[in-house]
Amino acid sequence: MKEFDLIIIGSGPGGYIAAQRAGQLGKEVLLIEKGELGGVCTNEGCIPTKSLLNSAKLYKNALESESKGLSVKEASYNLPQAMEAKNETINTLRSGIEFLMRSAKVTVVKGFATCVDSHTVQVDEQLYKAPYIILATGSSPILPPIEGIELDHVLTSSEILSLETLPETLTIIGGGVIGLEFASYFSTVGVNVTLIEMEKEIAPMMDHEIAPLLRRTMKKVNFHLGSTVTKIDQKQVYFTNAKKEESTIASEMVLVSVGRKANTAGLEQLSLTQDGAFIHVNEHLQTSIPHIYAIGDINGKSLLAHSASRMADVVISNLFGKVKQQMRYEAIPWAIYTLSEASGCGLTENQALALGRSVKTASIQMRSNGRFLAELGKREVGLCKVVVDEHTGALLGVHLIGPYSSEIIFGAATMIEAELRVEDIKEIVFPHPSVSEVIKDALFALDPHL
Amino acid sequence: MATEVLMPKQGNTVESCTIIEWKVAVGDMISIGTIVCEAETDKSTIEVESTAEGSVLALLYQEGDDVPVMTPILAVGEKGESYTPPKKEGELEQPQATERQNDSSTDKNSNLVTHTQSPTAEVGASPRAKVAAKQLDINLSLLRGSGAKGLIVEKDVLAHSQSAPILTPVAKEKAQSGNYTIPQTGSGMGQRVLSGDLTLKQEQKESTTTSVTGIRKVIAQRMFESLSTTAQFTLNSFADARMLLSLRKRFKESDEHLNLRTITINDLILYVVSRSLKDFPALNAHYYGETIERFSSVHLGSAVDTPKGLLVPVIKSSESKSLKQISEEFKDLANQAIEGKSLPDDLTGSTFTVTNLGSLGIESFTPVLNIPEVAILGVGAIAPKAVQVENEIEFIPHIALSLTINHQAVDGAPAARFLQHLSHMIAQVDLLLAI
Repeated sequence: MKEFDLIIIGSGPGGYIAAQRAGQLGKEVLLIEKGELGGVCTNEGCIPTKSLLNSAKLYKNALESESKGLSVKEASYNLPQAMEAKNETINTLRSGIEFLMRSAKVTVVKGFATCVDSHTVQVDEQLYKAPYIILATGSSPILPPIEGIELDHVLTSSEILSLETLPETLTIIGGGVIGLEFASYFSTVGVNVTLIEMEKEIAPMMDHEIAPLLRRTMKKVNFHLGSTVTKIDQKQVYFTNAKKEESTIASEMVLVSVGRKANTAGLEQLSLTQDGAFIHVNEHLQTSIPHIYAIGDINGKSLLAHSASRMADVVISNLFGKVKQQMRYEAIPWAIYTLSEASGCGLTENQALALGRSVKTASIQMRSNGRFLAELGKREVGLCKVVVDEHTGALLGVHLIGPYSSEIIFGAATMIEAELRVEDIKEIVFPHPSVSEVIKDALFALDPHL
Repeated sequence: MATEVLMPKQGNTVESCTIIEWKVAVGDMISIGTIVCEAETDKSTIEVESTAEGSVLALLYQEGDDVPVMTPILAVGEKGESYTPPKKEGELEQPQATERQNDSSTDKNSNLVTHTQSPTAEVGASPRAKVAAKQLDINLSLLRGSGAKGLIVEKDVLAHSQSAPILTPVAKEKAQSGNYTIPQTGSGMGQRVLSGDLTLKQEQKESTTTSVTGIRKVIAQRMFESLSTTAQFTLNSFADARMLLSLRKRFKESDEHLNLRTITINDLILYVVSRSLKDFPALNAHYYGETIERFSSVHLGSAVDTPKGLLVPVIKSSESKSLKQISEEFKDLANQAIEGKSLPDDLTGSTFTVTNLGSLGIESFTPVLNIPEVAILGVGAIAPKAVQVENEIEFIPHIALSLTINHQAVDGAPAARFLQHLSHMIAQVDLLLAI
């Protein structure tokens, strides 16, 4: 039996951040990881997809930049090389996390963790004990019960990242962030991509003005909305389209990205209260056993890497820090790194209306923005939409599609988190020329008064 | 020969004092009674007076040091005289005689928490600060001291406890109405108070107390007696109000010298009741427990809301009075009641009472018996009611009627029959006027 101040199960952006923070506060921390350090984010999620999407962006620019004065003869895309660059990125980040753990004096144990009781965790034959446990085991792709789902050419986001050759045709089931990013990547590097989504629109978190624009930027992707996949065989995907007609599409490869479920294996002994397929937590991220916390995807509150990291900070602050905090979800930005990026933070217009808030909105085209115009020209899609509380003037939501959206959105998060009003934000100076100026322009479009 | 000035004894329980501020510096000429320093016990702040005169040779402690009472704190002697301070308990080296620094800003304005070298203080806080922190439940390690070398003094603790919470712009604007309670810390960034953290103040109503006298006392007694001594039972019904409304309209538009313009719906109801009760003598009665007294005349009470409270003036022998007479008499009686000029006889002797809350939009209510009467009619508002006429639904205005009876004296069925009769009569009040 080895004793620690804190045991953390899972080393993704929730677990390793928690370990680092607690270690830096001088606590004896045990971090248990069944696979590689870094979790889905580093190894088969956020990071590798960014590496591949950037290679696709370079390829696209090489092909399409003639009007900007650039001529690249015989540009071609080399998948093995792109994969190598991606793997190098992953390895560097993994060693970075290893280094962080060492410098924070965190003990890392590789293996599958089983909770024996509410204070004891077992890995192989060894027992570990701590007054507190953080569950940060993450989530895995859901495989819906579709005939043929078990076939070898049907992949999830985990497997598709180790592809050796590009297929001719790819059908993606599910139009959420993961499905859309892969659709963007594969269609850009020359794969014939079809995306089948059950709902009437892609990307449920997106504002209703932005989602159709994003589809428009993905010209090479064949979208089937309101459609349900009924069967997969070696050659085709069968689906019922929005008009209730049976249809098929030839697919050499299929990617399933319909959602994710909590990884709860090894936690059975704890009999924790669940919210559907996820572990229930309160505003302090405590499970039904108060000294056991659940952060990141496992609690289902916000399946984003940065949410997991913030949850880690909240828990460590409450356990060992000076300030008692609660997890806030109102200003968590999201970003999608399709080749026209999109991002958002706060409420969409429809979400605000559903909450009974009276709102004012303004949308402005990015072609009015200097940098956007200089780099992309007037035909490219770009939009900024702001949602403002009609009574208080507080900024409730910012929604972007266009270049750098993922980098700009943190500013909106700051404004929303601080409950700034339109009149307050008008006093902030934005750098010029930068695409970020669209936020200020949209707010002045909403209310031109000073 | 140097003389030492001691930290004075402060009562029997104070063991040590913290030097807050030196008022003199080495080289200053002082006399007996000169304030040499300000010090703090756990209960008060004191000024330490010199017990000797001469030139200050040495300050034996620094600001912020906790000094046991009856310990030398400074030495006084001839100008230029040398002085060797005694070795302090627990210290290996002799402390340096502290010269008051010309620029004391490095110490005084330091925001860093630095633990003092005081042998007795564990945390860099003065005794009073510690007491205050304990009382206010404040963690001293979170504070920045403003005293010498970052010593936390009482005013730091108080300032921390009173420090205004940081509000977001939206929260600030919302709070300006004064209707919200602002928490000390909020759920936002850095414990900022978000608009959602503000809670509506419980409305603080100022209460006043008055004695129950006069009409209020009479009403209180009679209402209580009514409900506690009788078996009250209420029946609800409606009457077609179209004729009431059309008559009221015609009266209003009638020739001025007919003097009919002021006849109200309530007057029409009083008229119908005065004419209906003769067929239902059981309801025009008084109940006395042992006996029941029935009346041939209808002395009709009608409730009036006056500034002093509920009064019930009585229209005597209403069954023999015309609609116009009833209307005029009731108007007079009501005005007198409102002005407080009613004669005692005007307010007694009723055999049946009507109370009307229809003008206040009341749909239906439970009238309380005006004992010893055995029945009271409550009149509600006129509102459209869906009625099936042949194969269609029509919305016909109806007036609500609630009859409370004393079940000790009257049974439900005869009461229901009376209410039904009343309803018919109201619907055809134009015909009744001819009788």
